[in-house]
Amino acid sequence: MPDFHAAAIAANRFGFGARPGDLRIIAGDPRGWVKAQFGPRAPIPAAIAALPPGEDDLLAFGRWLAARRLRRGNADAIERQAGRQGVSDEELRELSTEEDFIRTFRARGIAAIDARIEAAITTDAPARERALHFWSNHFTVSAAKPAAVALPPSFEREAIRPYVGGAFADMLVAATKHPGMLIYLDNWLSIGPNSPAARRAELRSALGRSVGLNENHAREILELHTVGVGGGYTQADVQALAAILSGWTYDRPRLADYVRDIRGERSGVDLFLFEARAHEPGPQRLMARTYTSEGVAQGERALADLARHSSTARFIATKLARHYIADDPPLAAVARVTQAFTRTDGDLRATMEAVVDCDEAWAEPFMKFKRPEEYAISVLRAANIQNLPAGAGAAAVAALGQRIYAAPGPDGWSDRAESWLTADLVYKRIEFAQTFGERIARADIDARRIGDEALGALLSEETRETVRRAESPSQALALLFAAPELQWR
Amino acid sequence: MTFSRRLVLGAGAATLSFPALSWGQANAEKKLVLIVLRGGLDGLAALPPIGDPDYIRMRGRLAQQGALPLDATFALHPRLVNFQALYQAGELLPVHACATAYRERSHFDAQNVLETGEARPFGRDSGWLNAALGAVRHRSGGARGLALSAQAPLVLRGTTDVATWSPSNLRAPDGDTIARLMDLYERRDPALATALQGAIGANDLADSADQGAARGQRGIANLARVCATFLRQADGPTAAVIEMSGWDTHANQGLEQGALARSLGALDEGLDTLKSELGPTWRDTLVVIVTEFGRTVAPNGAGGTDHGTATAAFLAGGRVAGGRMLTDWPGLSERALLERRDLRPTTDLRAVLKGVLADHLGIADAALARDVFPESSALRPVQGLLRA
Repeated sequence: MPDFHAAAIAANRFGFGARPGDLRIIAGDPRGWVKAQFGPRAPIPAAIAALPPGEDDLLAFGRWLAARRLRRGNADAIERQAGRQGVSDEELRELSTEEDFIRTFRARGIAAIDARIEAAITTDAPARERALHFWSNHFTVSAAKPAAVALPPSFEREAIRPYVGGAFADMLVAATKHPGMLIYLDNWLSIGPNSPAARRAELRSALGRSVGLNENHAREILELHTVGVGGGYTQADVQALAAILSGWTYDRPRLADYVRDIRGERSGVDLFLFEARAHEPGPQRLMARTYTSEGVAQGERALADLARHSSTARFIATKLARHYIADDPPLAAVARVTQAFTRTDGDLRATMEAVVDCDEAWAEPFMKFKRPEEYAISVLRAANIQNLPAGAGAAAVAALGQRIYAAPGPDGWSDRAESWLTADLVYKRIEFAQTFGERIARADIDARRIGDEALGALLSEETRETVRRAESPSQALALLFAAPELQWR
Repeated sequence: MTFSRRLVLGAGAATLSFPALSWGQANAEKKLVLIVLRGGLDGLAALPPIGDPDYIRMRGRLAQQGALPLDATFALHPRLVNFQALYQAGELLPVHACATAYRERSHFDAQNVLETGEARPFGRDSGWLNAALGAVRHRSGGARGLALSAQAPLVLRGTTDVATWSPSNLRAPDGDTIARLMDLYERRDPALATALQGAIGANDLADSADQGAARGQRGIANLARVCATFLRQADGPTAAVIEMSGWDTHANQGLEQGALARSLGALDEGLDTLKSELGPTWRDTLVVIVTEFGRTVAPNGAGGTDHGTATAAFLAGGRVAGGRMLTDWPGLSERALLERRDLRPTTDLRAVLKGVLADHLGIADAALARDVFPESSALRPVQGLLRA
């Protein structure tokens, strides 16, 4: 017996809302529909597969920086570098005079945001895509930090997307090793104080600038990525983890790599690099365990233990329940998800199944206020939009108060209504609803049908009546898109 | 329902109050406006020390000729004409050679320090102004601060309730659509109804400042006008933050003309607008203008300046003990510079801000040293910033 009511809940609570026809597909087995999307192998959406790899982003950003320095007249250091690397003056000029390059560089960022939105509005596995957004936000790499500006999209694709139905421990390692994260949280600058690199730097340093550990990444791994605030770590643990991760960096492109990039030759940058000479030697004690291994294995073991720590299970389960169920999630649901995470050593498919099996996740009324990006995507899906003009999605979501890939801090976007249900931002949704309604209004587009296909039985009588009484097709669309049922999930 | 009807009838919008944007009421009716200049203001361009014996030589092609003199040593950039008028009226207190505790040169980290009030980047994820508003005694609940931007900047983020208002690229909905939605929200969704009521009140008020055009305009003068409209309400917020970017002048920053002159001209107009639109409230308002760091003393090869250390800040308002310079001027000789390139900081910006918060908003020293600017008890608030 098809359950259209549960289908509408599934589409909204676990996906990005229904497109026309979706509810009929989901209604046969709403819970099964969600769970089936977390299989081990999932196709990569075409829009995402078409983006360049992170290696290209690193090169592009490096070239942009080099070109900027050259143009601004700070050429001395770069010219010396070029000399050391055997890059000719002519090649260097080529690097700095390619007029379109900055535009191209910016266009890459917009193309990546377009791809993220297109993937979400066209996917047949919206629950998986939503989970991707959740994990990408959990491991935030933000373009708000200029040094990381080029990397959030490839970080998301390379360090998050492959693991959404996999093991949390694998995602943690991939996220920690990705240059996007290593740059965003400064670990590439971290040098063990007793490492060979530190000793050499001290000998050379005329300014006496200290060379040492940068704790930023280590602190955020504990506070935001694994055990969480109150997860039982101390400042000593932060320092120990920073020491363990010292030397975790990436292979920084050289000028010669940029020149090869211009010529279309692959440079073969290996993104993660363990720099043994910057690694703090010796055993470290982290959260009551001692790590004696040498080299990169020390960090890999520490991350594996953090991934399966009981505080991590509780922290992740709470965040998942907050994301899918309520801002202040019911403790019983958190306990069940925690148990699934613990039992399976952080298998995210099993953990997600536990969320789906919580009856609280199927309760009404809707308790979660959509974030601007989710809201815009759900409106686009309801209207069955397949593709958008370049940059339109990014601009719309930014106008609604959320700059995609540019969260304000490493804690990512807020997952609580109070951050988004504000006078200013609610008004902007209405502006968006009206603007978008006007743009798509045509004689054959019926807001009442769009509402039925998107929300079915969840559409209230009041909203139906409001839409029915609209004075024009475009006003009907605006009223529907701004209706409460489209704003909550 | 009254809202929808009034809108449909087109009744005088400015008479509406803020049902949802209700502001917490402070006991003392003092207002604070923080203007954050992002990108690193060149303090030596805004506030050139034209009387310093090393100025012309060290500043080279960026030495000002037509600056507006303040005293024997200091002058204002020629585009800061309203700043000069305020100075002459005793209502502008320029601060020079000041800096936060940050001594490196990353915008990102420097702005983080400027806004958190910590000694190091990423000490916390909330701002000093939010903490300060939390320490001011208020007799009613509601938002205490207002950000003139879509998201509250870090300096205003934290546990104290704040609101935002910002211009929009999107077209304003027509009154009829709003009325129908308000009716729907009131029947179905009280939270959305409250938010929409707040937005209507705020937008009408903002629009009343500029004949209905406020929501489409992004310039600083428009933000200042809207900001003043909020602040001068009898029940308005205690503090507001305006952000202005475009100060990262690495190339061709110019003298009387050019990119920096345009930005300074806009800032000058913004401050003047703020004062005139605030009307009598100017007497109780303190405007603080800050940036994350200064720029190199010497021009670079591209006619600009690179990231430096100490810079200028400005206090303005009806209560400011102005018409004088606040600086312990370190000089511009090679030996006086920091790392032989930057203006050396001699005043900790936090000490100035602590003085402002203590004297203007009445925040106790203990709270200032603990919650507002953590671990700053050794740093005494600067005294005498306000007229007795």
